[in-house]
Amino acid sequence: MKASKWLADRQFNFLIGVNVLVVIVATWMSHGQFLDIDNLQSMGGQLPELGLLALGIMLSMVSGNGGIDLSGVGLANLSGMVAAMMLPHMVSADDSPALYTAVFVCIVMVMGALGGLLNGVVIAKLKLTPILCTLGTQLLFTGIAVVLSNGASVRVEYVDPLSNIGNGTFLQVPISLWIFIAAVLLLGWILKRTPFGLRLYLMGTNPKAAFYAGIPRARMLILTYGMCGVLASLAGLISATHTSSAKWDYGNSYLLIAILIAVMGGVNPAGGYGRIVCVFLAATVLQFLSSLFNLLGVSQFFGDCAWGFLLLASLAFAGGDRVRAIFGIGGAAPKSNVPPPPASTGR
Amino acid sequence: MKLNKLGTALTAIALAAGAIAAAQAATNETIVTVVKVTGINWFNRMDEGVKEFGKENPNINAYQTGPGRADAAQQLKIIEDLIAKKVTAIAVVPYDPPTLEPALKKAMDRGIKVVTHEADNAKNTMVDIEAFDNTAYGAGLNERLAKCMNNQGKWAVLVGSLGSRSQVQWADGGIGNAKAKYPKMDLVEPKLETNNDGERAYQVAKEVLRKHPDLTGFQGSSSLDVIGIGRAVEEAGKVGKICVYGTGLPTEAAKFLESGAINGIAFWDPKLAGLAMNKVAQMLVDGKEVQNGADLGITGYNKVTVTKGPGKGVIVRGTGWVDVDKSNYKQYNF
Repeated sequence: MKASKWLADRQFNFLIGVNVLVVIVATWMSHGQFLDIDNLQSMGGQLPELGLLALGIMLSMVSGNGGIDLSGVGLANLSGMVAAMMLPHMVSADDSPALYTAVFVCIVMVMGALGGLLNGVVIAKLKLTPILCTLGTQLLFTGIAVVLSNGASVRVEYVDPLSNIGNGTFLQVPISLWIFIAAVLLLGWILKRTPFGLRLYLMGTNPKAAFYAGIPRARMLILTYGMCGVLASLAGLISATHTSSAKWDYGNSYLLIAILIAVMGGVNPAGGYGRIVCVFLAATVLQFLSSLFNLLGVSQFFGDCAWGFLLLASLAFAGGDRVRAIFGIGGAAPKSNVPPPPASTGR
Repeated sequence: MKLNKLGTALTAIALAAGAIAAAQAATNETIVTVVKVTGINWFNRMDEGVKEFGKENPNINAYQTGPGRADAAQQLKIIEDLIAKKVTAIAVVPYDPPTLEPALKKAMDRGIKVVTHEADNAKNTMVDIEAFDNTAYGAGLNERLAKCMNNQGKWAVLVGSLGSRSQVQWADGGIGNAKAKYPKMDLVEPKLETNNDGERAYQVAKEVLRKHPDLTGFQGSSSLDVIGIGRAVEEAGKVGKICVYGTGLPTEAAKFLESGAINGIAFWDPKLAGLAMNKVAQMLVDGKEVQNGADLGITGYNKVTVTKGPGKGVIVRGTGWVDVDKSNYKQYNF
């Protein structure tokens, strides 16, 4: 019963197939170097930042009514930066590295929760469209980060346990990847097994029915965006510890890629549908591809092109229903969900 | 039917992947140049230098890569993949030097040679290459300005951002030069900020001209400063009466160089910088050190100055700036 249910999800089949195929092709083309432990660890260390942001996008999309969280990257950078700036005044890094690390993590996550709750309150209470609200807060978070840092990188004090979050490994697996996997499992459990998850999907599918069923819309939205904020701050924690610095424009290209991952993972931008395992698989396939291209020394533009192609293929494979849901019936779905064009950037 | 679709999609991907398999060349030494962002003129020009190096050294696999979008995070990912690939040397133009410190340290810990460019504050590098000494460059620009102004008159200096170390050093180099050599040059506006924005530079230049109608010289720092100044000078109808010099890119400044609103620009040639980075990387791979006064065999790097950097590495400075005016800007395609 269970196996047949899993096989019924075409998106899941497609993503598994592509993942396996990319790994096989990559191993063959790189003469096995792709499966080298160094490369696996390197990929594992790169995956979490984007993956966590994509989870945030997924959550907000599932909540429906054109839900999307554009402020993730800005909040991630701001959280890391605030922690890096506040901490030296509170705890001495040399005396108690463990406490230093713990407080750092706390500040980052509290910042994330606050930023997320702000989004939630504005969307739920002021009834602002999510895309507008989070676009505003994105500029707000980024702006605060610029002002705090004068536009330069803020250094994160080097402490072993803290640096390990971004650079260390546990059982040969990067610690940041453990964090990401934990987030995936926890979020998967929340969405699948708790009343909150059930209500969230219901609200996304049909807000009116959800209202008459007595689902507290405001509380649900505030909680959802609060969780998005915490996910973003985890991404910020990883990037800050990974680079030993926080900068306002770090990861400025991540937003569109995170949206791409969510949509490729089969999340319905109009709300009500999205499987976390598919988002995870979409994130891994993008990481495999981009690392493969770097291994082979292929232009990054080709990488963009391949991602766009994959998205189209995944849409085609998922069948007409979802394509219609994305472009047609779900009128709230922003058109910007098509893949980003091969970037052109000015100096 | 379903399998059919899956098959088609997967075959297409496999074909696309196969098409790029040819790009892989198997040599034992690999030097990779990582730039801030690919696809812009500046770094396309650098790529020419990297390719030239590859042609001169067929036993080395030298190529250039970089993120498709200007983002420190993307550049970091590329560096990490290259470390996993175990390349011989990485030559990088950091988007934001502090962001790359842990990754470059990891690279050096694993025996990969690291060379940087435009990052004299980078700690984890073996050699940082600067095209020139910033103060000397600013003084060089000022020297041309002074000649144009007949060594006298009011002048102003614009900088893109006071937070940009190199730009401030250029401006100070120019100001110091004028102070020491040309007492009749009267600096009325030192270091006005333009936010690295051509539009803002235009506004600032207009305000300066209103405040000092008898001004006869401008020195710009950001490559957009001269563009804004040129526009303001043209609009004020003072082409030929006001001397304008500064850092600029030939393609961007072409229009104003033609009209005479900009008298001359200076820059360094990224192609030569790319060549120099690869050359130094190769020296490191061969176990050689760059000596003070060494000749890298590249124009502008014939007698380099070596100083200690902020970390364990050294900073190698050339004299590689290029002075360009109306007569010769067309030789440079970036």
